[in-house]
Amino acid sequence: MQSHKLTGQMFVFTLKKEWITLLLWLIGLAAYVIIGVVAFIEIYGEPAELEAMAMAMQNPAMEALFGKAIGMDNFTVGALYTQSMTIIGFVLIALMSILLVVRNTRGEEEDGTLELIQALPVGRLAHTNATIILLLATNTVLAIISSVLLLLLGDASMTLHGAILTGAMYGISGILFGAVALITSQLSSNTRGSMMLAFSVLGGAYILRIIGDAGLTVLSWISPLGLLYRSEPFASNNWLPIYIGLLVTVLLLITALWLKKHRDIGAGLLPDRPGKTRASSLLQTSLGFVFILIKVPLIAWSAAMFLLGVSYGSILEDVQDLLSGNEIIEQILASDPSIGLVEQYMSMILAVMAMITTIAGLQVFLRIRAEEKKQRLESVVAGNRSRQTVISGFTLTAVLSMFWLQLVQSLAFGGAALATGYDIELLDVLLTGMAYIPAMLIMLGVAVILFGWIPKTTPIIWLYHGYAFILLYFGDLFDIPAAFNRLSPFYHVPALPSEEWSWEVTVTLSVVALVLIAIGTVGFRQRDIN
Amino acid sequence: METLIKVENLSKAFGKTQALDQVSFEVRKGEIVGFIGPNGAGKSTAIRILLGLIKADKGRVEIFGQDVWKEAVDIHRRVAYVPGDVNLWPNLTGGEVIDLFLSLRGIAVDRKRKEDLIRRFEFDPTKKCRAYSKGNRQKVALIAAFAAKADVYIFDEPTSGLDPLQEQVFQECTKEALEKGASVLLSSHILSEVEKLCDKVVIIRQGNIVEAGSLDDLRHLTRVLISLKTVEALPDLDKQPFVHDFHMKKGEYIFQLDSDHLNDLLAYLQPFTVTQFESAPPKLEDLFMRHYESTRGGV
Ligand SMILES: Nc1ncnc2c1ncn2[C@@H]1O[C@H](COP(=O)(O)OP(=O)(O)OP(=O)(O)O)[C@@H](O)[C@H]1O
Ligand SMILES: [Mg+2]
Repeated sequence: MQSHKLTGQMFVFTLKKEWITLLLWLIGLAAYVIIGVVAFIEIYGEPAELEAMAMAMQNPAMEALFGKAIGMDNFTVGALYTQSMTIIGFVLIALMSILLVVRNTRGEEEDGTLELIQALPVGRLAHTNATIILLLATNTVLAIISSVLLLLLGDASMTLHGAILTGAMYGISGILFGAVALITSQLSSNTRGSMMLAFSVLGGAYILRIIGDAGLTVLSWISPLGLLYRSEPFASNNWLPIYIGLLVTVLLLITALWLKKHRDIGAGLLPDRPGKTRASSLLQTSLGFVFILIKVPLIAWSAAMFLLGVSYGSILEDVQDLLSGNEIIEQILASDPSIGLVEQYMSMILAVMAMITTIAGLQVFLRIRAEEKKQRLESVVAGNRSRQTVISGFTLTAVLSMFWLQLVQSLAFGGAALATGYDIELLDVLLTGMAYIPAMLIMLGVAVILFGWIPKTTPIIWLYHGYAFILLYFGDLFDIPAAFNRLSPFYHVPALPSEEWSWEVTVTLSVVALVLIAIGTVGFRQRDIN
Repeated sequence: METLIKVENLSKAFGKTQALDQVSFEVRKGEIVGFIGPNGAGKSTAIRILLGLIKADKGRVEIFGQDVWKEAVDIHRRVAYVPGDVNLWPNLTGGEVIDLFLSLRGIAVDRKRKEDLIRRFEFDPTKKCRAYSKGNRQKVALIAAFAAKADVYIFDEPTSGLDPLQEQVFQECTKEALEKGASVLLSSHILSEVEKLCDKVVIIRQGNIVEAGSLDDLRHLTRVLISLKTVEALPDLDKQPFVHDFHMKKGEYIFQLDSDHLNDLLAYLQPFTVTQFESAPPKLEDLFMRHYESTRGGV
């Protein structure tokens, strides 16, 4: 029992340094739940509206985005809430939990603070235990908040049973991915590697669910996201996935603790490969330097975008088949009969993928902030490169990464569609992908301004991007006033291939983006490095 | 005297790197032992094993007669540790972190002693850790270590970020702890600090202990470089037991002399006419340097 000594005190301490961050996360997630419930009750209060929606949600395109249609025999606001809010909710909660776990375990180990703690009469597992308790506590609070909000704000279809199940489902998704992160924190000897491994599991789970929901059902059950989704609160109210999730979580946690207890501090279980003795000529250019910094994440992103493109592209043929068989769906969705439903699906999916590419591009640029925080940027700026060259290296690499990933994902999407027998012009898909680049550049521009002028505020870019993402993803479900929509650069991009490419939009957005980037660069040239 | 730290045939490898190879040494009660050696010699590795942070591959490692890996928690109640590179939580203040460390040692914070140390180290405990310089972060760990009584202090380059005045304070604090009967293991690259503080030194190179003993003994063991010229040829000089590394250069005899045999050399030279005699006196630095130089080292 020595290895658990002072777990309680460690927990109090961990809570002390974490509570503000977690409070913000919980407020954000609560807002997510509130917006979902209130908006759906507001918009779909009428039975007729609901009925129409029931049909729409069975559309394979909607299923690919949101999850399998549920509660179709008696479609309610509750069922609509579950189907549309669950998967993205899981992803957000998983994100919070993965970051929480890696930050508090491998993060502190890499920084050397764990060494100081462990040299005190503190059990070998106390520090990890404290993180696990924090993970459980945070997700329990989240579960309770969600259940209570659903009960308070929901309509008659949102029953006590369903509300509790939703809370449980959210909570389990968090601790499950937290447990995955605890395992990856034992495998890799550094923070970045641990995060990337955990995010790969999350991404893999997402992709398995897409393919599973399009037909290969067993894959949905293997994916933790697909599995928990199958609880279907407010519809079939099935607790089995919760129990399975709980069991898997317990096994993961036990394994992680065992691994932690038996390994050296600072060591990972995956080998660190020895590196090069000399800097390649690439590393010595300002662009190549950034490229080498972000090489591994970029490879991971390329693989992820490729898989995502293939997954969404390969079900295009199914979408076509299912749609053409269903007159009612065709009637409802085809507000304009001249527009093909498959094209609508395609533009929706490609827009969502462009949002994901943007995350990757922003991450590439924001590496400069990480370098600054770790006090490595000083040595770069102190060299003979001008500040403008330094920041441009990061900006340009981000732009190139965006182009590259858009190329990868649209070709993967188009290629998979062609391979599975759907007749499509690759060039059309590619053009759709490229149409989003100017909007992505605006996001980048905002990031450059934040970083260039007030570096502390840089993370705000994620709020802005999240805002744009929610507008786009849920845009068809919520009635969003145009004024809100216009704030997102993505709103202005014509939805190819159903709409026409517009040079006007492309040029305007690009010019705005360039101006933003220039302003940000000027800011960086005259501010302090800290 | 009671042995507090005991390391016997300790080996540890990281993949293909053999960081420690059959290392043995001990620290007795009331003793301060300097632990020195070149970069990458294995000092930090040995210290981290002593603290139960990493696990030995082979060998017996004990503090207070208890196994350092299995009984880590018990041992740490009476041990204070300060590493060379202190990283802290950016959003807590130095004062908070000091209290945290003390509370985790299960010791009620002795306010007066803490205040006293804070004043002596000229430390501002109200700043957030992200705003501290390297030396100031190190002071957090030092104050936490000295603020509570410990039987064993383990220091791994504890003064690497301190200015000379603060280094002085560190030395005073260490001496006070020794007076109270504590034992200290001090790893440091600052040889003058080791020379001033330590009774004994252990020198490690490439994972092997190459020298261990009291400073006086080691000084005694040191050899002096002698070069001399005589009119006559010196028969059998190279055969004398106190002469080492003998060679001749441009008619000069050059060799190492055991420094406690100077008299024997003079007696031997008595019958000859010496025209030149030069000797380089033994300095502590030389003793260390001999082991720090990996290519020309005398071992
Ligand atoms: N976690 C690790 N993984 C791989 N090799 C390691 C690890 N820790 C130490 N080493 C290797 O073990 C050897 C001893 O390192 P150690 O840190 O103990 O040296 P040191 O004597 O403390 O050096 P310094 O004076 O530079 O602090 C080195 O060759 C080092 O590269
Ligand atoms: Mg060291």
